[in-house]
Amino acid sequence: MTMELASFPYLSSILLSCLLGLLAILLIPREQESLVKGVSLVFSGIALALSIYVYCAYDRALGGLQFVEKVRWVEPLGIHYFNGADGFNLPLILLTGIVHFTGVLTMWELRGRVKEFFAFAFVLVLGVFGFFMSMDLFFLFVWFDVSLFPMYPLIAIWGTTRKEYGALKLFLHVLAGSALVLPGIVYLGVASGLQTFDILALMQPGVLTPGQQRFAFFLFYFGFGILAGVWPFHTWSPVGHVAAPTSVSMIHAGVLMKVGAFGILRVGIFLCPLGWEFWAPVMAVLATIGIVYGVFVGLTQTDLKYVIAFSSVSHMGIVGLGLSTVTAEGLTGAVFQMFAHGIMTALLFSSLGYIYDKTHTKLMPDLGGMSRVMPVASGYFIVAALAGMGVPGFASFWAEVTVFISALKVYPLLGAFAICALVLSALYMLRVVQRTFYGQRNERYAHLPDVSFGLGLPRMILVAVMVLFGLFPRLMLDLIQTAVIPFMGGLPR
Amino acid sequence: MKWSILGPEIYFLAVAAVFFIFSLTRPNGRRDFKVALILAVLGVAVTLASVLREGSLVDGAYQVDLFSQVFKGLLSVGFFLVVCLCSNLNGIQERRHSEFFLLLATCTLGMMLLVSSLELLTLYVALELTSYSLYALVPLRSGAGQQMEAGIKYFLIGISTSALMLFGLACLFGAAQTTSISELALKLPGLLDTPMAFIGLLLTLCGFFFKLALFPFHVWAPGVYQGAANQVAAFVATATKVTAMAMLARLVSMGDGNTSLAHVLIALAILSMTYGNLVALIQRDFKRLLAYSAIAHAGYALIGILSMNPNGYAAAVFYAFAYLAMTFTCFLVVVKVASDGRDLAIVHLAGLHRRSPLLAVALMVGVLSLGGIPPTIGFTGKFLIFTAAMERGYFLLVLIAMINVVVSLYYYIMIVKTAFLLEPAEELPAISLSAPAKILTAAMIIVIIAGGLFPRYLFQLARAAVQALL
Repeated sequence: MTMELASFPYLSSILLSCLLGLLAILLIPREQESLVKGVSLVFSGIALALSIYVYCAYDRALGGLQFVEKVRWVEPLGIHYFNGADGFNLPLILLTGIVHFTGVLTMWELRGRVKEFFAFAFVLVLGVFGFFMSMDLFFLFVWFDVSLFPMYPLIAIWGTTRKEYGALKLFLHVLAGSALVLPGIVYLGVASGLQTFDILALMQPGVLTPGQQRFAFFLFYFGFGILAGVWPFHTWSPVGHVAAPTSVSMIHAGVLMKVGAFGILRVGIFLCPLGWEFWAPVMAVLATIGIVYGVFVGLTQTDLKYVIAFSSVSHMGIVGLGLSTVTAEGLTGAVFQMFAHGIMTALLFSSLGYIYDKTHTKLMPDLGGMSRVMPVASGYFIVAALAGMGVPGFASFWAEVTVFISALKVYPLLGAFAICALVLSALYMLRVVQRTFYGQRNERYAHLPDVSFGLGLPRMILVAVMVLFGLFPRLMLDLIQTAVIPFMGGLPR
Repeated sequence: MKWSILGPEIYFLAVAAVFFIFSLTRPNGRRDFKVALILAVLGVAVTLASVLREGSLVDGAYQVDLFSQVFKGLLSVGFFLVVCLCSNLNGIQERRHSEFFLLLATCTLGMMLLVSSLELLTLYVALELTSYSLYALVPLRSGAGQQMEAGIKYFLIGISTSALMLFGLACLFGAAQTTSISELALKLPGLLDTPMAFIGLLLTLCGFFFKLALFPFHVWAPGVYQGAANQVAAFVATATKVTAMAMLARLVSMGDGNTSLAHVLIALAILSMTYGNLVALIQRDFKRLLAYSAIAHAGYALIGILSMNPNGYAAAVFYAFAYLAMTFTCFLVVVKVASDGRDLAIVHLAGLHRRSPLLAVALMVGVLSLGGIPPTIGFTGKFLIFTAAMERGYFLLVLIAMINVVVSLYYYIMIVKTAFLLEPAEELPAISLSAPAKILTAAMIIVIIAGGLFPRYLFQLARAAVQALL
């Protein structure tokens, strides 16, 4: 893989904008809530602008790892501060920037302990950005845990339904995952005999024996898989989603679950390709069960957040299915699906968040006819639901099509199952839309105002992104291909 | 000027003498505290000035090298930090304050002598100086008798392990016909297959397992942490643990590479981690919980030592530093929240985020560091330890340790939850911190996070220090 050293540390600047935002928030007196929100918006805006810049400035003709920053950190152990951007992580860096920015906008009406909320949110996003761009296993793990622990206070303090239970369940589950990941990382660093935690050095063919790769991949797949919502380790995710406040659900379902999937890709698949091939059938079966299971459980829910949460389990199954095909198309589709699902879920939670803030319920039987009460707010949700069904014109359509085509080639039976399940997913999304937004209007909510322009802004941005990449999927597919094709070509066969 | 290398030891002897004189005069708590604080700052300066000194005295029985000097530096810092907590020494009657500082100084002196001892008898005498100071410190608290129970328990278990250790020293002498540790280090690897030498070494280690509160020598810890005054508990929890880690590293390095020894230590490490973490889950008193967490941490630190490779010893030294920083931070919160010197139940932390945001953040950083969440020094220490253990191929041990870490996160996160989420039953006033206290708290937060993110120089120092061992 080629490496382009950065002339200006754009990637570190993204991290720095989060860090400075955090420090600025900590220094503001807690009474000045609107100032805290303003500062959060500015710094998340800077992070977003930088991630858009990096996404656009990446030289696709050249490919490889660009914007590289590499500093020796702890020499005796071979730990480096090593960041880089390639076709795999750029979509996710962009996704994090978008979801963070829109998340701050979505929480504009937050009351109570505003300063702490945004401080924890910035810590979380700092961890996520760092995780996506890091190319050193030590830092990768540091960022991984930095992104996980703020989830506990964020859900436990500002959450809603069974928040303490949900927060604790989530926290212990994902950290149990890290209990598998850390031994795996240390094992690889030591087993290679290279005295390094540099991913590029460790991924060279021949560094790790097939047996080591199979063993380590197992650890990474399940360790990160817990966070990616792989069935049967997904149980924390619906409970956590439902308990979390709106923007935390957005970041959580939109970005944090991708952290898990990306961990499988960056650590598991990059370093242990032979282990990947070995475990791929298991991954495929678990992913397909996840897709089907998510759809069927989603069909019976009455709490709207549960519906979205189970659709996330199902959609993350598609990512897993793409990864399990061990083909270039499958990998491309999986990365694209990570991005598309991130935007789509963020939109679903964001638009539901507005309705919940006004009506204080998210139970389908209580709502009804909402499209006549708040047509614009309902519109956002319906758009997201359509995207969730994989309707053409949205980014998720291309992602899902790419994954399913490759899955049908490699695992015809499982692929067929998954496609059937997805047809059913249209059924449950339409059921939600029909029950919540059409039908009998609940007069209790008839007086509620529709979403204002300012509050609608984050939803508009998310819709625009979804449509942009739906109409011009090559903006992203080409970028992902620059990483996937050399990577698959370099695999030992 | 051969004796000038003893600078720190002579200094702390002088500190003890000052407080001995004070104890003969009319009690004056303010004066004692101020003098102690100034002497402690000077003590840190004196010790750090002698960090690079090297030499040996009394035919090699007393060795001054980087390893011992780094730990003396840590001990003087620990002494200073504990003195910082004594601005309101409410748990101890005022007429005992000078005795408290006197014993604190002799105990520090004993530990400084200990880390330099390269002779079994010197080592035993230094250890007893430390122990007897502590036996007197623990029951010094004013109260209803809980402190007496803790003191007697500590004393009885202490002298029993001391007897075991003495027996072990005798066995070592019998097997190797020498009391010099440097000669033992040459002879022991060949001798450890004989039961006498093996049992001798193991029983000698027991004396320090006791100080480290490693399972099954832990029974005193919860009682002492809870029963002793908060400041004394802070001292027991930080300085003595650091010394115990140093001495274990020194003694285990004598039996370098012996697999039977490693197996015994692995068993003890696993038992200690698991027992400490499981029992900590049900604790209600914060200091008691810290005691069980200390039992668990004894297990983690032992993993570094039992790896018996340079990285492992260095990781243990690093962990000793990390442990000092994070445990002290927790005790800082205990002392400030329970400013009247009472015990601190976990529920009394409720609403801390409003009463003092700074202390709440310090508490969160401290317990998350104990729980091994990056980017804190506790995580980096564990990472170094696990890397060293993995180099020896102890994959399963690392996995068990990680599972233990996740178990421990439950009770650590419950503390964070109490401080940030729960509200107290009745409205409690805000905790006002003095400016120095604020600076100290902020400095501890910065040390914990900076130590986690920039471990480079500290780790290099630790590696250089353990060179002296090998």
